[in-house]
Amino acid sequence: MASEMLPDEEYEVQDLLLNVGPQHPSTHGVFRMVMTVDGELVKDVVPYIGYLHRGAEKLCETMDYRQGIGFMDRTEYLAGHNAELSYVMAVEKLAGLEVPERAQWIRMILCELNRLSSHFMFMGAFGIDVGVFGTPFIYAWREREAIIDLFEEISGDRMMYAYFRPGGLAWDVPTNFVQRVKEVLVSSKTGIKDFDGLLTDNEIFRARTQGIGYISAEDAIDYGMSGPSLRGSGVPMDVRKDEPYLYYDQIKFEVPVGKNGDVFDRYICRLEEMRQSVSIIEQCLEHLQPGPIMPERMPRMLRTPPGEVYVRTEAPRGEYGVYLVSKGGNRPYRLKVRSACLSNLQPLKQMSVGQYVADAIIVLGSIDIVLSEVDR
Amino acid sequence: MNTHFIFWDINVWADGALRLLMITGLMTVVAMGLIYLERKVLARFHQRVGPQRTGPLGLLQSVADALKLVGKEDLRPTNADPWTFELAPYLVFIPIFLGFVVIPFVADWQVRVLDLGILYFVAASSLTIVGWVAAGWGSDNRYAMIGGLRSAAQAISYELPLVLSLLSVGIVAGTLNLNEMVQGQSAVPNIVWQPMAFFIFFIAALAELNRTPFDIPVGESEVVGGPFVEYSGIRWSMFFLGEYAGMFIMSILAGAVFLGGYEWPFGGELGRGWQVVLVGVKSSIFIFLVFWVRASMPRLRIDQLMGYAWKVLVPLSLVQVLLNGAVLVYGGPKIILTVTGLAGIVFLFWITDRAVSKPRVRPANPAMQTEAAS
Amino acid sequence: MTSEQPEGAQQPTASLDTTIWAEVDRALSGITVTPEAGVLDLIVTIPRDEVVRGLRALKTDAALHFDYLRCLTAVDQEADGIDVVYHLYSTTSKHNLTVKTNLPNDDLFVDTATTVWRAANWLERETAEMFGVRFRGHPDPRTLLMPEDMDDTFPLRKDHPLAEIEILQGEGMGYTEEDSE
Repeated sequence: MASEMLPDEEYEVQDLLLNVGPQHPSTHGVFRMVMTVDGELVKDVVPYIGYLHRGAEKLCETMDYRQGIGFMDRTEYLAGHNAELSYVMAVEKLAGLEVPERAQWIRMILCELNRLSSHFMFMGAFGIDVGVFGTPFIYAWREREAIIDLFEEISGDRMMYAYFRPGGLAWDVPTNFVQRVKEVLVSSKTGIKDFDGLLTDNEIFRARTQGIGYISAEDAIDYGMSGPSLRGSGVPMDVRKDEPYLYYDQIKFEVPVGKNGDVFDRYICRLEEMRQSVSIIEQCLEHLQPGPIMPERMPRMLRTPPGEVYVRTEAPRGEYGVYLVSKGGNRPYRLKVRSACLSNLQPLKQMSVGQYVADAIIVLGSIDIVLSEVDR
Repeated sequence: MNTHFIFWDINVWADGALRLLMITGLMTVVAMGLIYLERKVLARFHQRVGPQRTGPLGLLQSVADALKLVGKEDLRPTNADPWTFELAPYLVFIPIFLGFVVIPFVADWQVRVLDLGILYFVAASSLTIVGWVAAGWGSDNRYAMIGGLRSAAQAISYELPLVLSLLSVGIVAGTLNLNEMVQGQSAVPNIVWQPMAFFIFFIAALAELNRTPFDIPVGESEVVGGPFVEYSGIRWSMFFLGEYAGMFIMSILAGAVFLGGYEWPFGGELGRGWQVVLVGVKSSIFIFLVFWVRASMPRLRIDQLMGYAWKVLVPLSLVQVLLNGAVLVYGGPKIILTVTGLAGIVFLFWITDRAVSKPRVRPANPAMQTEAAS
Repeated sequence: MTSEQPEGAQQPTASLDTTIWAEVDRALSGITVTPEAGVLDLIVTIPRDEVVRGLRALKTDAALHFDYLRCLTAVDQEADGIDVVYHLYSTTSKHNLTVKTNLPNDDLFVDTATTVWRAANWLERETAEMFGVRFRGHPDPRTLLMPEDMDDTFPLRKDHPLAEIEILQGEGMGYTEEDSE
């Protein structure tokens, strides 16, 4: 009837262009996506990034190796230890430094604790994305706070640790380190169990997340996804298992994988990964022996021979790679940070087209992006 | 024409106006109290303490918030439709306010006793939807528009199970007059005869009030507050007031229709003071349930919401109405209604669980997928 | 190195034996390849005309099966042009390979790798805007991190200066490089 009353040339049906972000509660930072919406269905998603680009790679070229550590914290502010680890390992590989055993074990413990804290952060933020008013968020925050407090005791900072050094650690951990880690693990275990009740077993949560944001294993690999986002699609790819660094080859742990490649599987992979992290830390604590934390003969000014190396580690969000090119001297000639989030974000369009607007939001949440890592 | 108002006989119209004025004051105070309560209750769910600095135990927090909101600038976007935008808060607020006319707070005290009280209430309160859509449309904001339209779809869908569940109670009670309905529950509250209707009423009321898990129109993480996104200051606070007043009226109605309102099931006449306490306790139960759900449930998606209304709640409430009619016409014992109602609740849980425990990968529109891939 | 250039195969040091060079050489037959043992991974250099063909051969080869593009970036070698670097990984056989190609400074283009891995899309966009490398046939040649209109400056090139560090708090607070050493 409407077509009889209204001349076609004056009125035409248009899709709605919905601009989500850069300031939007659910974009986890300054991320913008322009959605073409047909009613409630998403027809197209165009992501825009770069709002947080600070040129960390360029800045690192102007600073010596020690100064670069701080920039790595700032690229990946939710898992600073993991980001530093890739960087210092790249420098060590180039300079041929041997890291003492104790330093390696402490690095492992801190990286896994950071994975825990980062995943807690994901759980909380994801709870808000699916629309629970704050409860999982604050539960997650409580556990994360305990871990962050521990980091503060060790490194003196809550987020920007700058604690790892090429060759070892900045200083030894406090004397009550083992006991404090055990305390934190106890609370983390309760926290993980809480999430089973808060989210995993919730009917509405399952109805909202299962079957949403599907991506096949082949597509996920082709898009270069990594970390839990890739493992959710059933690809058991984990740098810790495939190319063990530190002492991951001496530790027993499993790589949880999903089956369906949907939002729920990505969530459950992270939750299982947290249980594995707890077990890894417990095993690491048994190996921890007193000893030096830096090589005995460290040069005053660290210089590397010419060469290049691409070091990858398994950060909470996926593979955090550092490509370091040296032409000799005390600063990188070129430093490239391979961001897991950047690659994980690429298939966003494929995962959200055809879904509802509300689903597009939780698909974005399930990738667990940190915008400062995407933009660097 | 004069009528009795507390102690004096006064003109009917003056009486109505005075009573409405009292309701307005009550509503504002209760809404502010509810905001404080909600913050406190949610804080306890979150393992926080909630507001505690403003006044003793933080009691003055809502007052401070209200003062702050009144002092804020009343912004209107340049492209917004001036009339629609500025009238929308009233269109939300006034229907809820009108709904209070028939609500029996205590014995012999409401604004007016109407024989079709429930019908009037439902008719008046469903008008709020006009305000929501007006706010969404008038703001000239796409989030607001999506929110407003979601709200329309949701309110229309859930109006049906709400009305049908009230109607089935009406059949059992034999009246739509709220006062008579409350007095009829002096022995046994209606919830005993109609447990499933109460359940459906509770769910539909959550949807009508746009509370979690049905807060889709205002979903903070999706549409950033929906229709309210462009509002500020006093107009925004009117929406807020409307929301909490709506919750208050819904809880009193639930108390009156299902829990026996001011009637005490164990016999004996209660004084007016005790009646107030009784009504307060009964509506508090309802309100606490609403808060509890808010603290623990994620938000549904719009298609799940609509599907749940049309595929589960409407058929079940229709069955309840038919069953009530059959039992009353053919004179079966009333206990049948209790049993079937409880069975209905079990069925409701079963079908909800079944719906979510068998996830399907929703085949996205293939045309869209190929379009995106190219 | 191909079979046509047998003398090149003698060049590699002994450490190449422990790498996957033999297999890579087989997969890349017909393509000019120069191997080099890196610190962690094998590095091969392919001329830019053949690089995408080589990458596709590496991906489709059944034994190597480099199905995962870890990273794609570029290194400004100043006078020697710009190197585009591909870091490959195989999710099935779990080995790594670094592929390099050199572009001369006066003609910075290379064929796009998006036809091989979709992962290359954003990485190439980033490399293009940072180094001014043109990826021929890229499906979406917009800027990624930089503003849309910033198409004449390439921040990660070595000739792109860092801005002077502004000293905000007076001369007394500032320090020069000599002081810090």
